[in-house]
Amino acid sequence: MSDRQTQFTVLKAARLIDGNGGAVAEQAAILLEGDTIRQIGTKETVQAPEGASVSEIDYGDATILPGLVDCHVHLNGIGDGRAGDELTLLPDEVLTVQSAQNVRRHLYSGVTTLRDCGAKNRTTFLLRDAVEMGIVPSPRLILAGRPVAIIGGHLSYFGVQATGPTECRAAVRQLIKEGADFIKVTATGGSTRTSHAWRPSFNVDELVAICDEAHKFGKHVAAHCASSGGMENALDAGVDSIIHGVHKDADGSDNYRPDLADRIAEQGVFVNPTLGQSVSRIRQLEDDPSRAREGDDLGAMRRGSEIRMDHVARMRDAGVVMVAGSDSAWGFYEMGDFQTEIEAHGMAGMSNMEAIVSATSDSAKSCWVDDSVGTIEVGKQADVLVVEGDPSSELGDLRRVVDVYLAGDRVDRQNLI
Amino acid sequence: MSGISTNEYKLISADRVYDATGRAVIQNGAVLTQGSEIIAVGRTDHLRAPDGAPVERIDYPGATILPGMVDCHTHNNGFGDGRNGEELAELADEILTVKAAGNARRSLYSGVTTIRENGPKNVTMFRLRDAINEGLTVGPRMVLCGRPVSIIGGHMGYFGGEVTGVEGVRALTRQLIKEGADYIKITATGGSTPTSFPLLPSFNVDELRAITGEAHKFGKLTATHSTSTQGVINSLDAEVDMIIHCVYKEPDGRDNFRVDIAERIGEGGAYVNPTLQVGRARVWSLMEKKIDSGLSTEDLTALDEAKRELETRLEHNRRMIEMGVKIITGSDSSWGDYQLGNTVYEAELLVHAGYSHSEGVMSVTKWAAEALGVDDVVGTLEPGKQADILVVSGDPTEDVNALWDVEDVFFRGEKVDRGSEESLAAVRQTPYEF
Repeated sequence: MSDRQTQFTVLKAARLIDGNGGAVAEQAAILLEGDTIRQIGTKETVQAPEGASVSEIDYGDATILPGLVDCHVHLNGIGDGRAGDELTLLPDEVLTVQSAQNVRRHLYSGVTTLRDCGAKNRTTFLLRDAVEMGIVPSPRLILAGRPVAIIGGHLSYFGVQATGPTECRAAVRQLIKEGADFIKVTATGGSTRTSHAWRPSFNVDELVAICDEAHKFGKHVAAHCASSGGMENALDAGVDSIIHGVHKDADGSDNYRPDLADRIAEQGVFVNPTLGQSVSRIRQLEDDPSRAREGDDLGAMRRGSEIRMDHVARMRDAGVVMVAGSDSAWGFYEMGDFQTEIEAHGMAGMSNMEAIVSATSDSAKSCWVDDSVGTIEVGKQADVLVVEGDPSSELGDLRRVVDVYLAGDRVDRQNLI
Repeated sequence: MSGISTNEYKLISADRVYDATGRAVIQNGAVLTQGSEIIAVGRTDHLRAPDGAPVERIDYPGATILPGMVDCHTHNNGFGDGRNGEELAELADEILTVKAAGNARRSLYSGVTTIRENGPKNVTMFRLRDAINEGLTVGPRMVLCGRPVSIIGGHMGYFGGEVTGVEGVRALTRQLIKEGADYIKITATGGSTPTSFPLLPSFNVDELRAITGEAHKFGKLTATHSTSTQGVINSLDAEVDMIIHCVYKEPDGRDNFRVDIAERIGEGGAYVNPTLQVGRARVWSLMEKKIDSGLSTEDLTALDEAKRELETRLEHNRRMIEMGVKIITGSDSSWGDYQLGNTVYEAELLVHAGYSHSEGVMSVTKWAAEALGVDDVVGTLEPGKQADILVVSGDPTEDVNALWDVEDVFFRGEKVDRGSEESLAAVRQTPYEF
């Protein structure tokens, strides 16, 4: 830190995955200059400038890949199964402390950029202040602050309930004033007790106001859609990402809508299907049935998950770009385990490389940060993940984290302070 | 994270056990714990679990086992980067709570298993305790005051506890106890707060009496910040239980050790928390600046003043120690330039002031626990007490600085995961010769 001279770092490994989906490079090396990737090549070709101070690490039988980009987290969450309606009862100070723990977990697990899709009041903005003061280690943060919801709508307990285009516009302006990087809107109900998951929430004129106002300031919009009516409205309004993207009719019946899939693809809207939520819960119950709560039906969960995966596969066939976003620590899904979401994409039919792309470059594109992160490319930020093995042939190798670099700095993953 | 409490036995052994009760070091000693409690302390070959129950054995060759440290004076909101309290108080409560969480971990990992917090903003420390109780983060046992009780414009008034008059202070005392305060912190003189007067008393004696009366009614202790003599006198008049800083200065700023006052402290049995290291940390910070970028004329004056002040305070405390006043370790970190996780520096300065090395250890274990009224639970290694245990290489009764060389910390009977050596080493502040 005290050394003002630019530091060069050469990282070498048996393999390199650039995050764009290209072939795995063998015997690869990259040169980092400060926080930036300067060269990509082989162990023989990559070299620091003559006479420069350089540190070199050869990771051997390992793979270098971009730091992971999780486009959907809830930093306030605890992941112990408590409902959002209960989570929100915790004081903001407690939620901010939890958020600080969550960003640390995610960073240490290999995520170098995350997008928070809804937190209470100003908690995530204040967390970012704490991160900028250097008191919390954290991935790069892309923040919505509070989600925009209708009265009684999903996540409305986090502090924004707006009615009508004018209030929606005001809500967006207020969030941007406070530091929002994008706007999260709940276009249908969800788990929130006073909301209706199978019904749209906002009307199209309200969603249009939100999108217009956000786009005016160069911010993107991500819409929570737990049913098809909401997706239709979100597409009408011109949102940039659809979250969950559940094909359900207003009566709750599953009904894949090819017309909607085609529209999503045509409009170039990203879909974050959040498959990892149910996969992680199913795995938990398989590993330890005693963790079941009253009314849990593992069979129904598996069937639900299969339907979602089938719909995701069909949307992909229709040309929709699917991006990985864990939705942790919502529900029972703790942070620090984005890998489950990526594996769920594999289970839904993606090749290992496609799943990695969905969690790196495509995820970065959906968050509008692909100019700086999401791939190993010259000129991009030196956010690098090093794992043992080869995740392109064994996706589970993404869990075998050796090192994480954030802006060129090696993260001390055992720092618990 | 919260750690499932078990009833399993652990036998933690080392070359030495110093139980801090006052008895000699036990050679080849051990502590037998069950769950979160200490069951027995003695020679390793004498200890075994009842009825041949299985025991997890953990041996520390060359090391000393002693009670986890008790730091009587922390500021968990603080950064210890030289910023003053007014600037600190401008930060959002959420940020201060996050900082407090990090500071609590620094303390715990350094071997401090109980802290008394001496002045945070608003409800931040109550919220941190909530977060720890939710299992979201870890920290030492915490004895909390909530906000310090201050006069209008008084020291640390910016933390949210400005009150006036007997009814005003009584109401705030009740409010703090309602919110969860374990003791009441009062600023009986001004301090570094620019709108306050460090050489003059703040509250009148009737107000102080109202606070101590109300606190004692509910079984809570009191402690007063006193950076000048009249504040100490007022505190004694109001039967305060601990005098913090305990600076002997006249209203004109003159140093004047008052034997009569020191005798009154000794007779009344109030504890004194002198907070010497916060002054030395200021010296170190200026020494560092001198090396890095040189000192301005003002800085040089400040450095001379800080050195002289430290010498005076050491001398006054030397005299109080000789008189038998109960002086305990309370770091006052993270205040000024002094960062949490460095409590040992304060204990070391009490040794400079006249304590033996083992008394230095007592001042940060047994006596500190007594001063906080938590000696029924922690502070010594005795059967029935909580298994808050520190293991250090070397022998701190021979050299108190051995407290730096932490091998492990057990909290409520569980070994604490303290993270990487690199991150722990970064916590320790660098001393400078002067």
